[in-house]
Amino acid sequence: MTNISNPAISVEALGVAYGDHSVIENISMKFPQNQITALIGASGSGKSTLLRSLNRMNDGLATVTGKINFHDVDINQPKVNIYRVRQQIGMVFQQPTPFPLSIFDNVVYGLRLAGVKDRKLLAERAETSLKQAALWDEVKDSLKKSALALSGGQQQRLCIARTLAVEPEIILMDEPTSALDPISTTQIEDTLVHLKKRFTIIMVTHNMQQASRSADWTAFLHQGELIEYNQTADIFMNPQKKQTADYLSGKFG
Amino acid sequence: MKKWSKQLTSPSAESYQEVTGKIISFLSITIIATLVITIIVFLTYQGIALFTQDHVKLIDFLTGQIWKPGQNLFGALPMIVTSLLVTLLAGIIALPLALVVAIAMSLILPQQVYKICQPIVELLVGIPSVVYGYVGLTVVIPFLQKMFGGTGFGILAAIVVLFLMVLPTMTSMTIDSLNAVPKSYRMASAGLGATRWQTISRIILPSAKGGILTAMIFGMARAFGEALAVQMVIGNTTVIPHGLTEPASTLTSVLTTGIGNTVMGTPANNALWSLALILLVLSLAFNLLIHLVNRKGAHHS
Amino acid sequence: MSPIKIDRIATIIILGFSALIGVLILSLLGYLLITGLPNISWHFITSQAESFSRGGGIRDQLFNSVYLLFLTMLVSVPLALCAAIYLSEYAPQNLFTNLIRLAMEVLSSLPSVVVGLFGYLVFVIQWGLDFSLLAGAMALTILNLPLLTRSCENALQQVPSLQRQAGLGLGMSQWRVTTKIVLPAALSGIMTGTILSAGRIFGEAAALIYTSGQSSSVISYSNWNPFSPTSFLHPLRPAETLAVHIWKVNNEGLVPDARAISNGAVVILLLTILFFNLLARFIAHRLSRRQGLIK
Repeated sequence: MTNISNPAISVEALGVAYGDHSVIENISMKFPQNQITALIGASGSGKSTLLRSLNRMNDGLATVTGKINFHDVDINQPKVNIYRVRQQIGMVFQQPTPFPLSIFDNVVYGLRLAGVKDRKLLAERAETSLKQAALWDEVKDSLKKSALALSGGQQQRLCIARTLAVEPEIILMDEPTSALDPISTTQIEDTLVHLKKRFTIIMVTHNMQQASRSADWTAFLHQGELIEYNQTADIFMNPQKKQTADYLSGKFG
Repeated sequence: MKKWSKQLTSPSAESYQEVTGKIISFLSITIIATLVITIIVFLTYQGIALFTQDHVKLIDFLTGQIWKPGQNLFGALPMIVTSLLVTLLAGIIALPLALVVAIAMSLILPQQVYKICQPIVELLVGIPSVVYGYVGLTVVIPFLQKMFGGTGFGILAAIVVLFLMVLPTMTSMTIDSLNAVPKSYRMASAGLGATRWQTISRIILPSAKGGILTAMIFGMARAFGEALAVQMVIGNTTVIPHGLTEPASTLTSVLTTGIGNTVMGTPANNALWSLALILLVLSLAFNLLIHLVNRKGAHHS
Repeated sequence: MSPIKIDRIATIIILGFSALIGVLILSLLGYLLITGLPNISWHFITSQAESFSRGGGIRDQLFNSVYLLFLTMLVSVPLALCAAIYLSEYAPQNLFTNLIRLAMEVLSSLPSVVVGLFGYLVFVIQWGLDFSLLAGAMALTILNLPLLTRSCENALQQVPSLQRQAGLGLGMSQWRVTTKIVLPAALSGIMTGTILSAGRIFGEAAALIYTSGQSSSVISYSNWNPFSPTSFLHPLRPAETLAVHIWKVNNEGLVPDARAISNGAVVILLLTILFFNLLARFIAHRLSRRQGLIK
């Protein structure tokens, strides 16, 4: 494995269990800054669980053991303020999750919660985030319209914009295109490539092409273990482990 | 590094909000739980006073046939029997009719008719029991007088009133359980060439069995706990009835008339609280029965 | 017999019995309306009840019912909503939660006369509130809590969990997610449940005859001081409601025109329940439509 210096976030000996049922055991890995890292593996491999542990979304659902280091702080400690963590490490979900509000209100939702009231600032941030999410041109004349009237792909880009607006450092994406059509998927993948200039992106995907197209790094998980983790080109061209090769060639999954 | 450590561990508006929310919601649930415990404790305490303070034997209370509090005779059997009898008979008459109306509404009649009838059923479910009692007084009793002679007040009147009262409840719940059967079952059965009645009797009713049973027990539980509607028409004599047209008393009707006429702390009053305790225990038993039926149904599917 | 013939016969039997029941119920409702409506007049609604002579109205009883409903809702809605939030959003899967749910079940299976007796024992006698609006409102709250909590919890559960996740992912606290995202989305369900429970409470009598009492004191509608015993707002005055009035007039029969009074009062009660039902439907319809298409 290539060494990653100065990671955006890293985990050490991470374990996750739902009750007595252990889903992830002893995973240690580092996620590089301003890169896209893809987590791949079959259903039940623990990739989503790993992702959701990174911003403590498993709180109350599962027991997470081990360390999660973010800016040299172990954020997997009880004393950590999970709301501040989640403002720094945002999340986008499998399906678009717009709130039943206008497009504008959706984008600035997080900012308003953080207490931002300045209309000018809100408008600026909304525009920037919508541009970053490549949605601005499509909605700039209809910011007051209900977000629910947008198409699925637009809704998902809106949710990305909503996450960007609070200016996190890291964005976690849990199969962000699994509910979308191929055209919307391509649009979002293009968006991601632009976004990594400013953000660190970690995403779970079922779609091998998506991982090979967009990700700089790829980690393959199997039954709760990290099997292989390397630069995407290396993993796809030259997998070191047999399980990885089998998975990539479609023998299981 | 220090900066980040402080930034990530210091409380924020959100963490304060969270504490407030937890306290408020937990407090509410605690209030309700305390309330339930208080109710059980108080009613039990009052309910056993007859046995602990006035030294009436529980077995005499449960099996005694004569209720004359003035002469220290506390036989609750007539009321227990009458309560169960009127409940059971009202339930048995209401069940098939509720089922028939539910089948007609949700499986046979066109959607437009359903859309008109369903709100009416809901409205009937919401009609206060006093109104049912009043219907009993003004319609049922004169009718029974004409049919059977006598005053008309009695067990039969109570059964009819309770039947009218629980019919909408049972119908509405049965409709819900019929609607819960997946439409695909109906399609599949029809696709195999089954007639509507074959589909209803062989597929839909068996799948909705648990729900229908629950509807029946729920309706009977409601009938069992009903006080005023019954008290208004049953005639209120505390003897074991020997015919359906005779007046009688249920647990609830004795409580309704008696509590105001006795002095707290006297054996006559304590005996009423013992009746209330029996009512409570039997109502809980009905509830338990519903749970068992539901669990079995869930297990089955 | 061929299946088709059996099908036809079964259909005829089912529809026949249903029609019979329908006609029976509708004619009873019709009878109540026809005998009741002529008794309703402005005088009937706005004048005091008489104890021994004819011509009494239901002004105080009507007001008492409304005021009691208001007091009950004032306590039970926030309590039930917060309890529902706990059960739906916070409750962990453990023994304590199961016990709470069991307690709710117990509460919901209490017959209303038992609730009334408990109210009599504790509020009226132990706490010395006497027959009063306050005692009645607390008894009704006990009666209302389990069903209202359940309908609120159901409404909250209807909100997709993805919406909650989205809020949490933005760094919102669970409480903020609940109040800002889940509650607005569940509003129509909560309001429908609340209004339907209000209908039930409005017509309740068994829980009230020994708590809020069977008589009304002399009250003045111009005295707005809730601490004055003659004020219509005084929460510690005895207050007979409309439903209790119907029961009492028929039970004691001291007024010569008991039949006419109850006929009228029954229709008023029915119309109120109808109003609550229609309102609940309207709100459910209106809000669920608006949620899809906010401008």
